[in-house]
Amino acid sequence: MIDAMISGLMINLQLKPFLFMLIGGAIGFWVGILPGLGGGATLALMIPFVYKMTPQEALPFLLGMHSVVCTTGDITSVLFGIPGEGSTVATIVDGYPMAKKGEAGRALGAVLMSSLIGALFGAFFLAIIIPMVRPLVLAFASPEKFVLILLGLTCIATLSGKGKLGLLMGLLGGGLGFLCSLVGQDRQVGVLRFTFGQLYLWNGLSMIPVMIGFFAIPEVIDLTKRGKAIAGDVSFGKLGKGAREGIRDTFSNFWLTLRCSAIGALMGIIPGLGGAVSQWVSYAHAAQSAKTDEERAQFGKGDVRGVIGPGAANNSKEGATLVPTVAFGIPTSGGMAMLLGAFLILGLVPGPDMLSKHLALTYSMVWTIAIANIICVAVCLLFIDHIAKLTTVRASVITPIIFLFCYIGAYTANNSMGDIVVMMVFGVIGYFMVRSKWPRPPFILGFILGDLAESYLYVSTTCYGSAWLLHPKVIVLLCLTLAFASYPYIYQKLTKKEVPQ
Amino acid sequence: MKKETLLFIFAFIVTITLISPETLPAAPSYQGKTIRIVCGTGPGGGYDRTARLFAKYLPKYLPGKPTIIVENMEGGSSIVAANYLYNIAKPDGLTIGVINRGLPFAQLLKTEGVKFDLTKYGWIGSPTVETNVLTVRSDTPYKSVQDLRNAKGPIKLGSGGPASSATQFPLLLKAFAGIKNIQMVFYRSSREVALAVEQREIDGQTTGYSSFKPQIEKGIYRALIRGRVSEPGIENLPVDESLTNDPIGKKLMALRSGPDRIGRPFIVPPKTPNDLLKIIRDAFAKACKDPEVIATADKLEMRLEYVPGDECLAILKDLFNQPDNIVKEFSKYIKF
Repeated sequence: MIDAMISGLMINLQLKPFLFMLIGGAIGFWVGILPGLGGGATLALMIPFVYKMTPQEALPFLLGMHSVVCTTGDITSVLFGIPGEGSTVATIVDGYPMAKKGEAGRALGAVLMSSLIGALFGAFFLAIIIPMVRPLVLAFASPEKFVLILLGLTCIATLSGKGKLGLLMGLLGGGLGFLCSLVGQDRQVGVLRFTFGQLYLWNGLSMIPVMIGFFAIPEVIDLTKRGKAIAGDVSFGKLGKGAREGIRDTFSNFWLTLRCSAIGALMGIIPGLGGAVSQWVSYAHAAQSAKTDEERAQFGKGDVRGVIGPGAANNSKEGATLVPTVAFGIPTSGGMAMLLGAFLILGLVPGPDMLSKHLALTYSMVWTIAIANIICVAVCLLFIDHIAKLTTVRASVITPIIFLFCYIGAYTANNSMGDIVVMMVFGVIGYFMVRSKWPRPPFILGFILGDLAESYLYVSTTCYGSAWLLHPKVIVLLCLTLAFASYPYIYQKLTKKEVPQ
Repeated sequence: MKKETLLFIFAFIVTITLISPETLPAAPSYQGKTIRIVCGTGPGGGYDRTARLFAKYLPKYLPGKPTIIVENMEGGSSIVAANYLYNIAKPDGLTIGVINRGLPFAQLLKTEGVKFDLTKYGWIGSPTVETNVLTVRSDTPYKSVQDLRNAKGPIKLGSGGPASSATQFPLLLKAFAGIKNIQMVFYRSSREVALAVEQREIDGQTTGYSSFKPQIEKGIYRALIRGRVSEPGIENLPVDESLTNDPIGKKLMALRSGPDRIGRPFIVPPKTPNDLLKIIRDAFAKACKDPEVIATADKLEMRLEYVPGDECLAILKDLFNQPDNIVKEFSKYIKF
């Protein structure tokens, strides 16, 4: 195994593979920054170039791109409140308020460093689990996945506002999200739900336009109303100094960073859950780590831990999502399906061979994720001061640009005008939620998990009747879920504090 | 004098150009032009992979070697793309569509949202046929059709949804071939179905033969029944139609397997001029037989078998020419 690891590194350090990785990384840098254009769609555009490459050149090229999009996607989320990628939405919740407070540099420093640690953790995780990967993936069948989703849904309790009314608002938000996830053609009997005669809605609501509308549009309206720059009246000098502080923040919350990286990696390995979920679970975990209610109240208003958590998780999942594709030839997302196509073009057959005959190549993929992220973060840190200064550009100049990016970002989801309409509708809903102080993350959690929960509950019941409830793994996970759900109440009772309404 | 001559030549050229363009047919050339292949499914699937394969190799055979790009237009199982090609795209030979082969059922069953008539498109053809095979995991006790018929417990088969051929094929077997214990389990995608089979959550699935050939050859999956369309290597498998004596059942199975022959259909918008359609058809036919394309397709686990556009059209016309009672019976099992 050590031999294969070293051989993998040697592959990456050869001139041509290294150059291809740099080119891929440079493409990924921009893809991440631009909202909407995702890693999966870009892989599709890059595939024609690999026909004539060797696997040693093509994999660094493709993965170099794919593994840095979340890192730079976080930058857009922090600076403008627009999700650069579908899996960098949770970074907005605290990252953008930090930018508004004039702490863009600090937020960027923190998110980039936590992204790097997350990516390295993910690569390390992938490297050590490669020998035992098959039983691990096979252990999570539909019932286990369903309970894991329930576990994710308990995060609503953490992501909601304070007090009993806060929880009620959170649950209602989650319920509305759940309802929105039901839009489209039902999978079990083919019934059309809430499609209002629109073909566009047959496939359900796309995540990107919903997220952009929900998070970016209210901020654009707010920015226009305020008429000032994103960072208000904060001077240039103060902005630049924050980056080091942000990096220090990451290291002073090192265990949190590692725990969130672990959440990302573990959720990434389970086909079906993916990055969109892990960022929120890790955000909720970060919020849960607040010791007092006052501290907890800072989440959503610009707490650096709310940036570090999702930053780490959305990068650590990168290595882990490769596992089902490499070990089983079963891609877990559109992006991974494109990668599988590339594997076949290159003459590689995913499956046991990748873990024995081509082990060095598999490890070279691990190295690509690590090296590409180190280079990307180093480059970003060099320019961080200049990037952060974008938050001091006055509103009349920056607002139309952000609006344009919102439109382009939403439109690239399906290349349909429907995307724009969805973005605007959810923009209005998001705006009123912000105005009436309704927490938005529970909605997103309900929206992402609703479809998954429905699907896995149905499969569990069809395949096992009610017997799945007695599966040992299900029982363990259910106990964990109950512990998670009741933790805030037990904690409250133990500390005997009154929670303000 | 010189000026007058020039004016005369100019007037002559303009007149000739304006009044009789047909008399000076410049051979249509795609030089410097960009053709779009509108793919009705998302990136990563079989249709998308086929579209991208031809985006790469088709220019070699088109005059002027144009650039071809692929644009994914998902929605309504390709209905969105088909509507776009029928109602919006210009018939100028610069837009090609790759659509779901199940769309004929949408038209036959008058599915909501269908704003096209498939017989009016210009049919380029298909580079593959898609053979449906019912497969089970090798470690299940089902080794023959009789084993399936005698099964005591449910035979759990995975699929992506009720409108998928992976559902339609086994449902007809359940209704007409005496395999009563088939139970369908629907997953979010065919990728999840494959994983569920590995996890032993389900027993098998109906799948396109080409995409599962390696697993069948390695003995991971066992193929038990195939549809009417065959491929080398599975000619001797029992055909679904031969497993029933019910004439209606036979008819429905035959109708269901019709679109399998038009595997990955390539079309152009209606009213595309015949000369342009001919150029694209010829280029497509040549590309399907190009050894380089065949070799690349082989790597992608696709077996190329060129099906001409006229043949695709004939299959469609036969499908749409059924009496009402057959269509009614068909709609009990086939959804879109």
